[in-house]
Amino acid sequence: MSALTARGTVARANDSGAFGGLPWTVLRLHRTALLLWGALLLAVVGTLIWMYAIGADARAGLSACATPATDTLPSCSDVEAINTDETYGIGIGLVDTALSYLTFPVAAWAGAALIGRELESGTAELAWTQSVTPVRWLTAKLAVPAALIATGTTLIVLLNVWARRDDNPDLVGDWYNPDVFLSTGPAAVAHVLAGLTLGALAGLVTRKALPAAGVAFAATLVLYNVVDWFRTSLWPTDTVTGRAALHLPRSSQVLEHGAVTTTGERIGNNLACVGYDNATDIKNCMARSGLSDFWATRHPESHFWPLQFMETGVLLAVAALSTAAAFRLLRRRTP
Amino acid sequence: MTETAIAAAALGKRFGRRGGWALRECTFRLPVGRVCAVVGPNGAGKSTLLAHAAALLAPTEGSLTVLGTHPAAARERIAYVAQGKPLYPQLSVADTLLLGRELNPARWDASVAERIVAAGDLDPKARVRSLSGGQRTRVALALALGKRPELLLLDEPMADLDPLARHELMGLLMAEAAQYGTTVVMSSHVVAELEGSCDYLLLIGGGRVRLAGDLDDLLAAHLLTTGPVRDLDPHTVVESRTTGRQLTALIRPRGPLPTDGGATAPSLEELLLAHLRNPDAPALVLDPARTPAQEPAA
Repeated sequence: MSALTARGTVARANDSGAFGGLPWTVLRLHRTALLLWGALLLAVVGTLIWMYAIGADARAGLSACATPATDTLPSCSDVEAINTDETYGIGIGLVDTALSYLTFPVAAWAGAALIGRELESGTAELAWTQSVTPVRWLTAKLAVPAALIATGTTLIVLLNVWARRDDNPDLVGDWYNPDVFLSTGPAAVAHVLAGLTLGALAGLVTRKALPAAGVAFAATLVLYNVVDWFRTSLWPTDTVTGRAALHLPRSSQVLEHGAVTTTGERIGNNLACVGYDNATDIKNCMARSGLSDFWATRHPESHFWPLQFMETGVLLAVAALSTAAAFRLLRRRTP
Repeated sequence: MTETAIAAAALGKRFGRRGGWALRECTFRLPVGRVCAVVGPNGAGKSTLLAHAAALLAPTEGSLTVLGTHPAAARERIAYVAQGKPLYPQLSVADTLLLGRELNPARWDASVAERIVAAGDLDPKARVRSLSGGQRTRVALALALGKRPELLLLDEPMADLDPLARHELMGLLMAEAAQYGTTVVMSSHVVAELEGSCDYLLLIGGGRVRLAGDLDDLLAAHLLTTGPVRDLDPHTVVESRTTGRQLTALIRPRGPLPTDGGATAPSLEELLLAHLRNPDAPALVLDPARTPAQEPAA
């Protein structure tokens, strides 16, 4: 029995999974990046737990107040003395920004350190002349970082959503704010994965570390801005008409206000009468401007998930295409 | 029939669509168990040929088989040390050997690799980036030999070594190769590096095979003659030089030699230099499997 167990152990030691020792090799070769990633994760997780802990105090800092204090409202000087809301807003905002821009350093790293440097110095060929085919090499090079990055990013997104508690926009920003949108849903993970694969492709194309970092950064920058530009177009908007169009709730992302004149002409991008509160003022404003109706196109908060899934889909498609291109290029170059 | 380590059939490689040919119409056969020198001037195509055998480049035309199969299928059985001795600079010597074990799970022989490293007094914890050229070569050879390859491809292995280290590493290499019957192919433009250790020769010039065959057979097929100036027919003349009324020539004899002159066996260096100086001399490919020696019509 013990002999059997011993033999089993030896067999496993010699054949550590479908990739052999490749995953270990990838982790060992990029140990600095791995440690940096771990440190970043720890810092962000720590920040988010701290933000969650001070979340209740931060909300007290925004409380309605009265001078002097009443039975139901605290004194305004007391409320103003609370600084926790600022700390909380800055903390959450920093995490949001870091998560939205994470794709850039990841792309540059993938281009330079993960792929470009290996092709430039010939160490890729060193790996390919061990018992590892170029295709398996690239698979491991992409799969191991992708798994670690996707897991870490997902963890940050989940903790971020948790630390934002009730999503009070005065503290954590509106859901349609680009940084907020990019750090509270699956699109965050897809952005970073697209950065990783674009970086790897840049490394294979340039075959040099520094140019690969530049090309990867530029490609990701273009992708980021194109997605940012078309973000609101990825799901059909709602149209609100009548007076409701002048008083949309803050949770709606308003894309366009428009007005209809008494002659039936529709004028887009028109803010006439927006902000008037009571019915008389609105009536006067309409009469003065010769308007008969209003409309507004918007994304209500209920569009958050469809927009997230569409953006995630687009980015994952980019990631899949760049991965396919990278493998194609590699296969064409090596026998 | 002898088993074949490398067989090339009309192998050609062109880099880019409009680039020049790095290799053209290379045909030769290297039997297993040999130590083969690939010789030629800089830019002759030596590295390109070795990279094809190492499954790093795909031929533009023709074909190459290694150990009886496609080079990519023989990957596990080949070891290759590229000219620049690429190694991961951030790894320690011990980690580099560990990498060899992890990437060659079915073949790795740690004792061979560790013995080579230990013989060089290398600190296993030293980072590769801190090593000297000779030490890097030693680690690269340890990585290659630890794989226990059937075919070892070395591109200018000793180029950056001092004569002492060169002699020592060459001895080590030959001992390992002899012990396991490894076929060794090494490229070089230093003739001294090869004399005494190689028994097979592949001379490449301008991307083409100029000489291929057993070293002794090749030397035996040539003669260095001296005598009065005369027509050397029917012998194949590789090189001839006239000094006054004396003619010195390297020939491939065909038939009886004139009796009024001297004839000596050329040295390896004389043989190589004569062929390198005269790119138009006809090629000679001696194939032990096919006798008699075939000389393509010039």
